[in-house]
Amino acid sequence: MKLSCLQENLDRGLSVVGRAVAVRTTLPITNNVLLATDQSRLKLAATNLEMAVSCWIGAKVEEEGAITVPARLLSEFIGSLPAEKVDISLSPQTKTVGLKCARFEARISGVDAKDFPPIPKVEGGVTTKVEVEALRQGIARVVFAAATEESRPVLTGVDAVFEGDLLTLAAADGFRLAVYKLPLAKAVSKKTEVIIPARALGELNRLIAEQEEAVEIMVNPDKGQALFSLKNVELVSQLIQGTFPNYSQLIPKSSTTKAVISVGDFLRATKTASIFARDGSGIVRLVVTPGGEMTPGKVVVSARSEEVGDDVGEIDAMVEGEEAKIAFNGKYLTDVLSVLGEAQVSLETTNPSSPGVLKPVGVDNYLHVVMPMFVQW
Amino acid sequence: MSGRIMHIDLDAFFVSVEQAENPRLKDKPVVVGGRPEGRGVVAAASYEARAYGLHAGMPLVKASRLCPQAIFIQGSFPKYRDASAKFMSILADFSPYLEPMGLDEAYLDATGFESIHGSHYQMAAKIKQRIKGELGITASIGIAGGKVVAKVASEMSKPDGLLEVAPGEERSFLAPLPIARLPGIGKKTEQKLNGLGIDTIGKLSTLPLKALKSHFGASGEVLHRFARGIDDREVEPPAAAKSTSRETTFSRDTKDRSLLKATLRYLGERVGADLRRREKRARCVTLKLRYADFTTITRRQTLSQTTDSDQTIFDTGVALLNKALTGEKQPVRLIGIGVSELVEAGRQLEMLDTSTQRQESLNKAIDRIRRKYGFTAIQTGRTLRLKDIFPEGGDGYTLQTPSLSR
Repeated sequence: MKLSCLQENLDRGLSVVGRAVAVRTTLPITNNVLLATDQSRLKLAATNLEMAVSCWIGAKVEEEGAITVPARLLSEFIGSLPAEKVDISLSPQTKTVGLKCARFEARISGVDAKDFPPIPKVEGGVTTKVEVEALRQGIARVVFAAATEESRPVLTGVDAVFEGDLLTLAAADGFRLAVYKLPLAKAVSKKTEVIIPARALGELNRLIAEQEEAVEIMVNPDKGQALFSLKNVELVSQLIQGTFPNYSQLIPKSSTTKAVISVGDFLRATKTASIFARDGSGIVRLVVTPGGEMTPGKVVVSARSEEVGDDVGEIDAMVEGEEAKIAFNGKYLTDVLSVLGEAQVSLETTNPSSPGVLKPVGVDNYLHVVMPMFVQW
Repeated sequence: MSGRIMHIDLDAFFVSVEQAENPRLKDKPVVVGGRPEGRGVVAAASYEARAYGLHAGMPLVKASRLCPQAIFIQGSFPKYRDASAKFMSILADFSPYLEPMGLDEAYLDATGFESIHGSHYQMAAKIKQRIKGELGITASIGIAGGKVVAKVASEMSKPDGLLEVAPGEERSFLAPLPIARLPGIGKKTEQKLNGLGIDTIGKLSTLPLKALKSHFGASGEVLHRFARGIDDREVEPPAAAKSTSRETTFSRDTKDRSLLKATLRYLGERVGADLRRREKRARCVTLKLRYADFTTITRRQTLSQTTDSDQTIFDTGVALLNKALTGEKQPVRLIGIGVSELVEAGRQLEMLDTSTQRQESLNKAIDRIRRKYGFTAIQTGRTLRLKDIFPEGGDGYTLQTPSLSR
């Protein structure tokens, strides 16, 4: 293998695949990154067996070949080089990769590419396309609601239902539920439901942050894999096996109090209260009061800590229905309020131990359900 | 105006409680801690037993060798806890500025409260009288301008003593005493000071601060002040406890996982009951293990949701136990479980799973039964086998080294 490429491209490519490199693993080669010539490009790939990321960069290939080298070592070295041409050559006998850039030279011991876990080819299944902005929004609005604990594996994933020209993403961790609907740029032929690891979607969102082209998605539930094709980048994720809870029944059908609040005001009041709630269980109390003839309605957001002190914030609201008292974990409120781009949000509640529902005002493609905290008032 | 601090210390507390309950034990060498063939240590020894060289912390086997005629008592922590609570409530009648130090001693800021009783000395005498009258045991009291001298004074006056150090005489009071008398001086510090030719507190007080600091670092400064009888630490009423835990030593080192788990379950239930009684929830569970060679490890797990549930405490403890014992060849000598990072009650309700709600109702019901009929009245199957190992006391199983393990 013999080729040359630009330091900036190689550096960027390594950072793209870097997050798929295994961290704690029993398979040491997954700490490596694969370097392989692919026609007139250099392919970089990494996998932690749950997710694989491949990235192609322009290169001048003189001799075909492939090798794997420790990912961290290589990216640290490349990252510290000047922005010039990098010459890469492999000595097949010693499996040593020689790197040359400006007046720097390094040799890194590699491991045979044949031992690298194959990056799965996703074929068959359902193919579709999503506009990148819609996908970014969708992932950002649901992914944080997925569970981080492994006790119920399906909850560490995002439920994705492809039906007609609609994609419904949902995530739940047992305490909250986020559901977002987005249009598909290309309708699917048959309804398909899969559970995609939230980690992979989070990674995907990082990869599409600066992309403008639509993302192609290929899902094969039978093989348990999904492929996301970006510009010069591919992300393949294993799907989570199992059945996602039937969440539609968890969404309250009615409410007794509805408050429409400015997202910015609500977020500030919740963040302020959370400072005081930090030492406790994160309890933030809301008292929603309807307005009178001359007075606007309001939401009082408060928190107290036995040892530290307490905090009360008041925000204007348009309130329909009865007065309501309900307590939430402050983090769950700030998590959802932080991802809303809309100016106003509605909060619907029924009683202190029934879920609260948040919906951005003016759109009907997102809803967020949060279980309250049981507290003494 | 400088304050007046009292240090009140109950004499041979555990033993005195036993003697008050059973007068036949009076004036005899009595040891609380367990059976002489047991593996525990002396938790308390009567003054008669101390004459034979017995002291707290000594292995029971050695104690019985030194004093074979001693009467060995298992001891009962709940009994001592009750006596301690009465002791503290008596003290609280005299001054609200009360700082308990363990079960059997406390500092009391008596500044200004003496006028009701005549003088500080008379106030202390009344405290002793009430303790004697209500608990049937004796206390020793030291009165001085600061905590450290008050403690030395109560220690000097023992047993059943009362010693007041007049204001301004703290330094001259300490001067002739051997350095080991000064709180804060342990074996190592004592040896080091002896090496420097310092044997009395008086000599220590003449050492320049710089010299002490170079030998003992930051604690040199404390020594310097204490040796001259200067101690401006205030009497601080205790803050609410930040953690709670239970532990026990096995009568024989064990590798029996099911025994370890049964014990862990029992201890965890005690911890859970404690949490719920105090209306707190915990964010963190800690497992403690001591192996046969006395190496002690603690392993902790932070929970994503706070808990006061026996099941969660146990499940977390077992996970930590399994992890700790993986690859560990030694048997276990001591096991303990505790919770920390306590927060006010307030439970996150669940959306998909009602098991925690059900656990909560279960715990409530069990707590009610236990309050009425005793701790062992209702148990999980897992802890049942402890029945054959530990004797049942009035309030749960009587574990080894009750004084140390509760």
